[in-house]
Amino acid sequence: MRSRNQPNLALSALAAVLGLACVFPFFWMLRSSFMGNIEIYQYPPRLLPKLWRFSNYPAALSIFPFGRYLINTLTITLPSVLGIMLTSTMAAYALARVAFPLKKLWFVLIIASMLMPTTVTIIPIFKGWVALGAPSGYAPLIVPAFLGGGAFNIFLVRQFLMGIPRDLDEAARIDGAGHPRILVQVLLPLIKPALISVGLFAFILYWNDVLGPLIYIVRNEQNTISQGLANFRGGYGTDYKAIMAASCMSVAPAVGLYLAGQKYFIEGIVLSGLKS
Amino acid sequence: MREKDAVAAYVFLAPAIIGLVAYTFLPIAGVVGMSLTEWNGLSEARFVGLENFKAIFTEDIFFPSSVKATLYFAAFTVVAGMAYAFLVALLLNQRVIGRGFFRSVFFLPYVVPSIGSAIVWAWMFESNFGVINYALNCVGLDKVKWLGEELTATPALGVMSVWGFGNFIVIFLAGLQGIPRAYLEAVEIDGGGAWHKFRHVTLPLLSPVILFNVLTSAVANLQAFVPAYSITQGGPNGSTLYMVYYIFRTGFKTNRFGYAAAVSLIFFVFIAAVAAIIYSTSRKWTYYEGE
Repeated sequence: MRSRNQPNLALSALAAVLGLACVFPFFWMLRSSFMGNIEIYQYPPRLLPKLWRFSNYPAALSIFPFGRYLINTLTITLPSVLGIMLTSTMAAYALARVAFPLKKLWFVLIIASMLMPTTVTIIPIFKGWVALGAPSGYAPLIVPAFLGGGAFNIFLVRQFLMGIPRDLDEAARIDGAGHPRILVQVLLPLIKPALISVGLFAFILYWNDVLGPLIYIVRNEQNTISQGLANFRGGYGTDYKAIMAASCMSVAPAVGLYLAGQKYFIEGIVLSGLKS
Repeated sequence: MREKDAVAAYVFLAPAIIGLVAYTFLPIAGVVGMSLTEWNGLSEARFVGLENFKAIFTEDIFFPSSVKATLYFAAFTVVAGMAYAFLVALLLNQRVIGRGFFRSVFFLPYVVPSIGSAIVWAWMFESNFGVINYALNCVGLDKVKWLGEELTATPALGVMSVWGFGNFIVIFLAGLQGIPRAYLEAVEIDGGGAWHKFRHVTLPLLSPVILFNVLTSAVANLQAFVPAYSITQGGPNGSTLYMVYYIFRTGFKTNRFGYAAAVSLIFFVFIAAVAAIIYSTSRKWTYYEGE
């Protein structure tokens, strides 16, 4: 029998091949974004551009207002992420730490609401916003984030809170701290990893959302990056170099965020899969 | 103190309760109520009884193709995606060099904006110039009109979705790493080989994780929207008219919101039924320790 710590070279090579296949679409997008349109349509395809056309990016920017879309997307995403982190933590604290009437019922209802596929209710929710007089704009996209932040996030933070010894809050309580102070000063520092995971996933969710902006944003200058990109592809169907450059710009922030916060992404996923 | 606790708890819980009412309970009631009406988004809604449902089941030529397309997409992505995610996880659970690095690589597509992913995959699947057909040519196979044929459009769109299954790889991997070494060693001591370890330790201990992943991926992929919206617009010939896209189109493109609500309600029952079927068969193949 071989040593347990000896790496398996054949399997490592297999992982490398599969890993390359997995990053291939990124490479293909990037390589196409530096080509001319004739070169993109060349068959058989070239692996790399003959000449790297960096000018494709400024050219794409002149017809694809990335900066505008970026600001719009952040205008929706940042408050939403804040709302999700804030209100899911509040709810999770009540459910994990405080005794109150009907607690069990609310917990069960919140968990059960996770079973509701969100796409089923887009029509009545739209009607609700029409009734409130705000069928378009950012409010319908941001407001829901401040309403509990999603059952799943409440559950995740609650599970994390359950793992923290109660002695800590009891001690603070004896010192005269109320619930807000216990949550903010004692518990928040301890659940920081879970909160970062929740925040990062919320960011990706809002950043990548297509259906929400499609329903509620009417004017192109208010569009998000994803929506702008979808329209851009529709409008400039054959100018593939510009489309690929725009795609690269749109994908880069999400990829960058992931590379910076990898650890929290992976932990968040592990937590979600194994605690459920 | 008790009462003060209760007040504080309800203050903390208030946003979540409002969200539960406004974004789950009322919309469920709303989708049922609206399904019985005709509403164009502007004027007053008109009560039409069960007319919408009657039309959906008797006259609507899109509805049957929509159900078929949705099932085909979900079946393809769940089967292919689970196989992909499970095999990659098994591989990364071996003594592979740079395991953490590869885990990050396979997870990466999960965070990519779906429109961006759709654009590059559609280009790779393009029938005349696409790199996938080029690869087929290289091994002596004919070009396939991936997005242009009813049979192949859904698998092509499905591959994009499966590419983003990095989260399931991470969950499988965490499950595999949670299997106690002692169990595997016990099989070794009894003279069992790799297959025995896999079949009698790994698979049963991982079955709850498999169930979780199958259910989650099925519910998510029954709700496919972006590929149909951004690439095929439901075509060719309704073969990628996934139900969420059909609901969207019926409501927001043709302003038949009552009708779209009726389709939504049927869609809800449809998802619940699929989930219930998966769950009920799982009793036969999942194993929970301590039972």
